[in-house]
Amino acid sequence: MSFLVLENIKKSFGQTQVVKDFDMSIEKGEFVSFLGPSGCGKTTVLRMIAGFETPSGGRISINGKDQNRLKTSQRNIGMVFQAYALFPNMNVFDNVAFGLKVAGKPKAEIEARVKEMLSLIRLDHLADRYPYQLSGGQQQRVALARALAPKPQVLLLDEPLSALDAKIRVSLREEIRQIQSQLGITTVFVTHDQEEALSISDRIVVMNAGRADQIGTPSEIYNHPATRFVASFVGTLNMIEATVADPAANTVNVGDNVVRLRESVGALRAGDKLSIALRPEAGSLSENAKGDTSLTGKVVSSHFLGSVIRTKIDVGGNRISFDMFNAPDAVMPQAGETVTLRFNASDFLIVRD
Amino acid sequence: MKTSRVLAWIAIAIGAIYFFVPLIGTFEFSLRMRRGEYSFDAYQSVFSDIQFQQTFGFSMLMALFTIIFGMLLVVPTAYWVRLRLPQVRPVIEFITLLPLVIPAIVIVFGYLRLYNSSSWLPFTGSVGGTNTLLVLSYMTLSLPYMYRAVDTAMRAIDVRTLTEAAEILGAKWPTIMFRCIFPNVMSGVLSGAFITFAIVMGEFTMAALLNRPAFGPYLQLVGANKAYEPSALAIIAFAITWLSMGLLQLVTRFSKLTPSRP
Amino acid sequence: MSLIDRRTVVDWLGIAPFMIFALMFLIVPTLYLVTGAFFTPDGSFTFKNIADLFTPSIMSAYWISIKVSVASALGGALIGFFLAWAIVLGGVPAWVRSGLLTFSGVASNFAGVPLAFAFLATLGRTGLVTVLLRDWIGFNLYSTGFNILSFFGLTITYMFFQIPLMVLILTPALDGMKKEWREASEILGASTWQYWRMVALPILWPSLMGTTLLLFANAFGAIATAYALTGSSLNIVPILLYAQIRGDVLHNPNLGYALALGMIVITGISNILYILLRMRAERWQK
Repeated sequence: MSFLVLENIKKSFGQTQVVKDFDMSIEKGEFVSFLGPSGCGKTTVLRMIAGFETPSGGRISINGKDQNRLKTSQRNIGMVFQAYALFPNMNVFDNVAFGLKVAGKPKAEIEARVKEMLSLIRLDHLADRYPYQLSGGQQQRVALARALAPKPQVLLLDEPLSALDAKIRVSLREEIRQIQSQLGITTVFVTHDQEEALSISDRIVVMNAGRADQIGTPSEIYNHPATRFVASFVGTLNMIEATVADPAANTVNVGDNVVRLRESVGALRAGDKLSIALRPEAGSLSENAKGDTSLTGKVVSSHFLGSVIRTKIDVGGNRISFDMFNAPDAVMPQAGETVTLRFNASDFLIVRD
Repeated sequence: MKTSRVLAWIAIAIGAIYFFVPLIGTFEFSLRMRRGEYSFDAYQSVFSDIQFQQTFGFSMLMALFTIIFGMLLVVPTAYWVRLRLPQVRPVIEFITLLPLVIPAIVIVFGYLRLYNSSSWLPFTGSVGGTNTLLVLSYMTLSLPYMYRAVDTAMRAIDVRTLTEAAEILGAKWPTIMFRCIFPNVMSGVLSGAFITFAIVMGEFTMAALLNRPAFGPYLQLVGANKAYEPSALAIIAFAITWLSMGLLQLVTRFSKLTPSRP
Repeated sequence: MSLIDRRTVVDWLGIAPFMIFALMFLIVPTLYLVTGAFFTPDGSFTFKNIADLFTPSIMSAYWISIKVSVASALGGALIGFFLAWAIVLGGVPAWVRSGLLTFSGVASNFAGVPLAFAFLATLGRTGLVTVLLRDWIGFNLYSTGFNILSFFGLTITYMFFQIPLMVLILTPALDGMKKEWREASEILGASTWQYWRMVALPILWPSLMGTTLLLFANAFGAIATAYALTGSSLNIVPILLYAQIRGDVLHNPNLGYALALGMIVITGISNILYILLRMRAERWQK
C-alpha cells in the first residue's frame, strides 16, 4: 500500500528541464534515499514534495490525497535542512516547540511533547541553550526533533549531514535511521554520499540529470547496477573494455585473456566492443582461490590504505583495482609482478549505457 | 505570494515620490527666475556671482588639503596598526567613530575655546592659522569615512604578507610605502577622498563658526537674501554630491580588476 | 632583554602622529568642554551649570530636539524598513535594488543647507507641490495650518536623509535573513504573519532598534538644515548652542559647556546602545 506516490513528475526552470518523468511509490514507514551528484534534480524533487516548488507536470499524493493544491504549511510534512536553519532567537526548547505552538496546542501538551522529543535525541540537558551555543551535530539533532514534534506524516531530509565532520556524519546517520524506524515515519533522504545512502536506506533512487536511473535496494544498486552511470557513481567498480570473442559461447577477450560470461552478450557479434564491470573486492590473488575464471596481468602499483590493500593491475590495457583486506601476514604485490586474479564468471556484469 | 510583490512596488513608489518630488520641485523652482517663462537665469546669476566663485574655490582648496593631509595621516596609521600593533586596533577604531558621535558644533566649540587668540596655540589669531584649523576640523569630520575606506582596502589585500614579501626582496620602508602599499589601496583612498570632498563642499557649521568664506556659509547667506538662486544652488550641490558618489562607484568597480584574492 | 624594547618603542611611535592629532583636535577639545561644564567662570567647581540646564527655556530646547529627532528617526525607520524589505525580500527586479542603493548613497549625504532649500522650493508657500495641489485639485495646503517652517516641516526634511541611511544599513541585515528560516517556519505550519511575529521581527529587532537609535543621534546633532530652514524660530539645542557660541546669549559661557555636555551625553548613549544592539544582531546571524 503506497503512502507517498510521485507520478510523472516534471519540473522546468525557464528553458531548462531539471526533472524528467519521475515516478516513485514509497511505502508507509519506508526509508528511501535519493542519491546523485549535484544538479541531478534530487533536491528539486524533495522540494516539490514539500511544496516549495510546484511541479510543471505530474501528481504528488500522500496517503491518497493529492498535494498539488495544498500550501506548504498545510501538508503536515517535517523537513530537515542542510544548513540546520534553527531559529537563532529561540532556545532549543522553543525551537522544538515551534510547530506545536503555531498549531495552537495547549501549553501542557507542548511541554510534554517537547520533553519527549528532547529525550529521543538525548539533548534534554541543553533545552535552555541557544543555537549559537551548540555544535553542528547538536544543532542538526535539534532540527530533527523540531521537524518530528508535530507528528508529520512524511519526513524529508535535504543533505542533512553534508555540513558536518566525517565522524559525526557516521554516528548521526545511524541515529537518524534508528529514530526513524522507532517512530515508523515515511522518510525521504537526499544525499550525494553513496556510503550514506547504502548504509541506512530501505531503497535507493539513483538520479542522473533529472531522471531516475535505477530504483532498488542497496544490494541491488551496488551488485546489479542497471546503467553505466549507476555503476560508476556507486562504489568503485572497475570498468573493463573487452571485445566479443565468440557470441555463441558468450566469451570475450580482455587483453590476452579469454573469459566466459554468465550473461548473454545478446545481439553483439565477434569483434564488437563491450563494457564489463568487476567489483574491486571480487576474487582473490591467492593460488588456492576457487573460481572458474581468471585474469592475468602485471601489477602497476600497490597501496596500503589501512584496513584495505589496493592493488592496481594492468590487464590488456585496462587498469583494474583490486582490494584485499589487510592481514598480519599479508604480502603486498610488487610493481612489475605478474599476477592472476581468480574469480567467478558471475562476478562480471555487462554494463549497458 | 502575489500580495507581497504588490506591497513591494507600493513601497518603492512611495520612496520614489519622496525622493524625486523634492528634486523636481527644486529644479522647477530654479527655472522660475524670469517672470512668466522657464529660464536658466538663476543659474546664470549664480555662476556670475563673484562670491560664488570665490567661496566655491575656497572650499575646493580646503577639500584638497583635507584629502591630502588626511590621507597622509590615515594611510600610514592604518598600515602601521595592521602591521605592528593589531592589539591597538579597537582603540583606533573607537577614536575614528567619535566624530560620528560628537556633533560637529560641539567640536568646533571646543576649538574656539581652546585655540583662540588668548590660548597657548592661537590658531584663530591669524587668517592662515584659522584656515589651518578649518582643514584640521574637516580632517576630523571625515576621519570615520577615510579610515574605514582605507582600512577595508588594506584588509582585502593583506598588507602584512605584502610587506614581508617586499622586505625579503630588499625594499626600504619609503619604497614599500609608496611603491607597494599606496597603489594597492588606491581604491580605498579614492573612496575616502570622494566622500570627504562631498562632506567638505557642503559643510556649514565649522566654516560658519570659524568665520571662513566657505561654500556652506555662502549658501546660507544666499538663502537668506535671494529668492531663486538658492534652489539653483541646491541643484548644483546635489549634482556635486551625485558626481562624487558616482565616481566612487566607478572606482570601487574598477578596483575589482586589481589584485585577486584567494 | 632590556626593559624598554627598542622595537616596541618604535611601534608605539608609529601611531604617535595619529594619537597627537586625535588628542589635540578631537579628544581634548571635547574634554575641555565637558570639564568646563562643572566649573564657574571664575574657576570654582560646581554643579550649578548642570542644574541650570533644567530651566524651562533650555529644557524646552532639549525637548523639541528630542521630539524632532525621534519623529524623523521613527519616520525614517518605518519607510526605510519597508523600502529595504521591498528590494531584498519583495521580489522586485535587480535594477531597482541597485538603483535604490546608489541613490540612497547620494541622498544620505545630501544634508545641510541645500536640503533646506530643496524642501522650501517644493513645499514652501510658492513651492511646486503647494502650487500643484492648489491648481490641480483645489487643495490649499497652507490653509490647513501646514507650514514648512515648522516642527513638522523640519521632520519631513530630515527624513530625506534618514530614510536612505536606514535603507543602506538595513539592507545587509535583511540579506542575512536566511531563506531556510522562512521555509522551516512554513513547513512547520506557520502563516506569513506568524513567521514575521515569531521569527523574523525578533531576529531583526536589534538591527531595527539600533539603526533607529543611530538615526536619532544623527538628527539630534544636526544643525545646518535646521538653521537654513527654520532659522532661530525653532529652538532646538544645536541652534541654541550656535547662538551661545556666537554671542553668549545665555550670559554664562560655562552654561554653554553644559549644553554641549548634554548633547554629548544624549548622542553618546544612543550610539552605545546602537553598538550593543548591533553586536547582539551579529551574534545571531553568523
